[in-house]
This record gives sequence, structure tokens and C-alpha cells, in this order.
Amino acid sequence: MSHANERLFDHALAREAKLKKSRAEKDKRMPLKDAIAEFVQDGDSVIETGFAYVRGPMAAFWEIGRQRKKDLVGIFTPGGMNTAWHEFGGMEGCHVAYVGVEMRGLIAPFRRGVEAGTLKVYSEWSHGGMALALLAAEKGLDYVACKSMLGTDIMKTNPYIKQAEDPFTGAPVCLVPAMYPDVAIIHVHHADKYGNGRIWGPAVNDESICVAAHKVIVTCERIVDTLDIRANPYQVVVPHYTVDAVCEVPFGAYPGDMPGMYYFDRRLQERVVRVEWKTPESTRHFYDKYILGTKDHFEMIQIIAEEEGMNVIEYLKQLEQLACDAAYWGLGSWGVGGERDWKYEEVAKRAI
Amino acid sequence: MNDVQANEIQYTPRELLACVAARLIKDGESVFVGTGLPLVGALLAHKMYAPDMMAIYECGAVDPEPRVLPWSVSGSWTYHKAPVILSMTSVFGHSRAGYADVGFLGGAQIDMYGNINATTIGDYENPKVRLTGSGGANDIASLCQRVIFMGLHLPERFPERCDYVTTPGYLDGPGARERAGLVGGGPWRVISHLGLMGFDEESCRMRLISYHPGVTPEVIQQFTGFELLVPDDVIETPRPTAEELRILREEVDPCQLFVF
Repeated sequence: MSHANERLFDHALAREAKLKKSRAEKDKRMPLKDAIAEFVQDGDSVIETGFAYVRGPMAAFWEIGRQRKKDLVGIFTPGGMNTAWHEFGGMEGCHVAYVGVEMRGLIAPFRRGVEAGTLKVYSEWSHGGMALALLAAEKGLDYVACKSMLGTDIMKTNPYIKQAEDPFTGAPVCLVPAMYPDVAIIHVHHADKYGNGRIWGPAVNDESICVAAHKVIVTCERIVDTLDIRANPYQVVVPHYTVDAVCEVPFGAYPGDMPGMYYFDRRLQERVVRVEWKTPESTRHFYDKYILGTKDHFEMIQIIAEEEGMNVIEYLKQLEQLACDAAYWGLGSWGVGGERDWKYEEVAKRAI
Repeated sequence: MNDVQANEIQYTPRELLACVAARLIKDGESVFVGTGLPLVGALLAHKMYAPDMMAIYECGAVDPEPRVLPWSVSGSWTYHKAPVILSMTSVFGHSRAGYADVGFLGGAQIDMYGNINATTIGDYENPKVRLTGSGGANDIASLCQRVIFMGLHLPERFPERCDYVTTPGYLDGPGARERAGLVGGGPWRVISHLGLMGFDEESCRMRLISYHPGVTPEVIQQFTGFELLVPDDVIETPRPTAEELRILREEVDPCQLFVF
């Protein structure tokens, strides 16, 4: 078995994987457990979609930890709370555009791993640069020439990109090759049983990622009828023929944000990032209690809700509906909308 | 308001930072906003000085209506009522095309030529501290027309040369950006909790524009890891006004998440 890095930029291998996929509309629904067991293999490179903590497939990542997958290669554009399980042999290396949770801080397990040399950083990227690598894969381009990353140390610490002379103008350009991750996990609002995935909010790189990756797992808040999708295909970012498995996972982005549906669980995120993951021992404790000690995502949410002493999901739904003006955007038919009890003035006083 | 009253207004260093940042944005400009303090500065500018400012975020949101302070460049409050939400490659592509006037960034280190480090402190192979990595910062600084940096002012945060250049400033000095093939104009302003800096047109080195109330150019030099150019015409930074602080405290950051 080759190393994930050898497959990552192999155009022919990527094409071969896609030629083998069935184009038939077949029912690909399965439990998340089975999808992770079947399509995420030890040593795979894994890319997540959305923006790490916005529409990120968190439930799927916890499940990867639960199944103790090994030696994965992370592709972080950006990487957030999913980066932690490398401390237990889950991840051996990564390609990094960004790892962190912005104002909420660095991810301590990632930092510890890189500083100790137990987590290899195979290449540095900018967000724009890595997005172009995925875009190239989607658009059928071997590489793209861009104006990012030039002149910086990223050029020296990324063995996959090259500086070259633009044959038209003679000016320096940065060449970024098409990137083909082994597995992509995409969390969407709605999917039909064939895998057509529809979102609301930023697609970020999803349209590219689902075509670039060899294997695609779609997790969704809700399975909808295929006629529903066919009646409104405009928000579909994942076409069914790229998809290998469809899993209905309500609240699958928790504790991240699901645009239009529920907001970040700020308190949990801060607790996890700043306290629970502060040392290897506390990280282990977190994993034992919340991931390995639970049978699924829902049991985990239940434990957290009990600890916080409130209906976490209801609270986050209220926050999110205000953020998106759910009623205004006509999201009612998406299972969002409804009565709004809170006003902006109240929300501004809450620490969101 | 007379001088005695003005001097009595209390504010924190970060509040001053946000106010100085907000004053640099002109109405009608497009601003590519990075994460961290730039979110605060951009929102204050939008509410106070530049109602027609167009914010761009790397998640793909363009021109949202500001309401409360988002903590992330991608959360739902970030793209509140945005008329268009694009993909990541699109917003950076639009910046290259020329639709982004100002890039607004933070970072761990900035050097005398305005290069920014957000990757590693110490040797790259054996880092003392591993930071987040570029995110969109490199693209913003490579592609936007001019770049504003915000950060805290300490000698190790203002070294002569960054341990790792994540995000391009003037690189090695005059002409280096052009030789490297970069398109944007490069660093324009640096706002720290001690002063406001710009860059010398000829040498591309950082120079002082104004020092914040309570500090002197000498103090700023002591907190800077390289020789800061100090022209004769440096002035004291105007204090935050009561109105700026009111908007900042009541509308932008009522929970004091960032500006404490």
C-alpha cells in the first residue's frame, strides 16, 4: 500500500478511482458507523469540508476517533477540532493551510504533536493556494498558475508547489498541482438517498472537494425526497455520482455552526480548546469520556447537555436563527424558521 | 469638549487599537478582513466611518450587513444578510482581479519590511511554538492593494526578520515584491498598542507615524526588535473619542470578548 502522499497528486490514479464508480442512482444510505468503517481506511488522507467549525462533519470525525482509525493524513484548510485524535495514533502527518479556531486559540494537541515531531507537517499552504489545488482537480486542470505564496517561506516548505516563469509575460508565478485526497467527508443540510447534497451558506471548497476526492461520504441534517432536490437543484453542491455513502446525522456539525440551523456551542468549544485539550492527559480524558465512552454523536450531545444543564440544541438554534434571519430568508421549509423568541438586543448581550 | 475632559476618557490599549484601525478605512472601500482584531476594527469602521464599506471574508461572504461582532471569518454572523456568498477561490480571485482595496490582518510577528509570521516561532524543523499557519493571510497580503496589520508591540513580535515568512510584506526590501511576482501594493500601515507605523517609500522599512498617548518614540523603539525609522513629523495619536468608545462598547463588542 502506497503512502497517502504518493496518491495525493496522482492524476491517473484519481481518474481510475472515478472510472470505477457507479453512475447508477442507487440508494447509498447507511449508518455513519458503517460508512466510516467501509470508506475511511487506515493511512488515508482525509479532507473535511465547510470551514472546519462551520458545517464541518464533526460527528463523522468523532466516529473516526471512536473506530480508532490509524495513521491518517490530515488536509487542513482549515483544520479545527478534528485534529486532536492524532495523539492516540490516529494521524501521522498533515498538509496545513490553517489549524486553529481563530480567536478561540490554537489547537493544543496539534501544537504539541508538531513541536514534539510526532505529527509531521508535509507541506505548508495558504487557504487560497490549497483551494486552487482542489479547484484544479475539479476543473480538470493538471495545475494552475497563481500569484499567492510567492516570495515567502511557504514556497520552501511545500515540496508540491513550484515557482515558474509565466510563458506569456515572463513574470514569476506559483504553480499549484491538482490535489486528490483519498476521502472527503461533507456535511450538508439536505441530501437525497442517492447523495445529491444541498447546502445553505458558504460552500467554501465543497464543489471542488467532492470531485477531487477518491471517496466521498455525505452526512446530512436530513434526508429529503429526490423530487425535492430535482425541483430546486440550484443549491446542490455535491452531485450524486461522486458520492459513496449518505448518512443522516442530525446535528452532525455540532459543536460547530450549521448555517441557518444551529450556532456554535461557544462554551463547549472554548472549554475543549482551552481546558480539556490543554495536556495530553486531559485530551485522553476527553476522548475516553466523550468519544470512546459514547456509542454515538447523540449520546455525546446528551452528556454535554446534562453538564451544561440546558437544552443546548434549542439554545443554539435560537442564536443561529437570529444570525441568519431565518424567517427573512424563507428557510422555514428547511425545518428551521418558526417562532423567534429572542431579539437582537438580547443576543448582543450574550457572549456569542 | 476641552482638553481636560478629553484626557479623562478611560480606554484600554485594545480599544485604542480598534479605534486607530477603524479610522484608516475610507468609506466606499472594499476590505478583506482577516481573523482576530481586524474583525473588531472593520466592524467599528463600518458602523462609525464607512457605512458604505464592503467587507470581504475568505469563507466567501461579500458585503454583509454588520450587526454584532462575529468571532470567526466564517460564522453566520459574519455573512449576516450578505447579498452574495461565493466560494473561497472566487473571493481570492476577485482580489487578484482588483476588487479588494485593503487587506486587514493579524499575526504573531511582523518584521521591518512588513513580512508576517503565522507559522512557527524558532526553527521551522524544530519549532519552539507551532502556530496556525497562513489561513487566508498570505493570499490577502499577496493580492489586496494595500495591507493593514494589527498586533501587540513587543520586541519578539517585531523582530528584524521573521522566523518564518508566512505572509509577504516587502520581503527583502525595495523591488523584492515586484521581483517575486506579487501583484498587490504590499504593507501600508501597522497598528500596535504603542503606535501607528507606515513604511518608508524608498527603503521599504517600517517608520513611525504617530505614538499613542502615554508613550514616546523612544519607548516604541525599545519595544521594537529593529531600528524603527522616526521622521521629524511624528505626532501623538488622537485619543479615542467618546463616540468611538460608545459604539465600540455598546454596539461592536458589548460582551468585551476582544477589547478588554
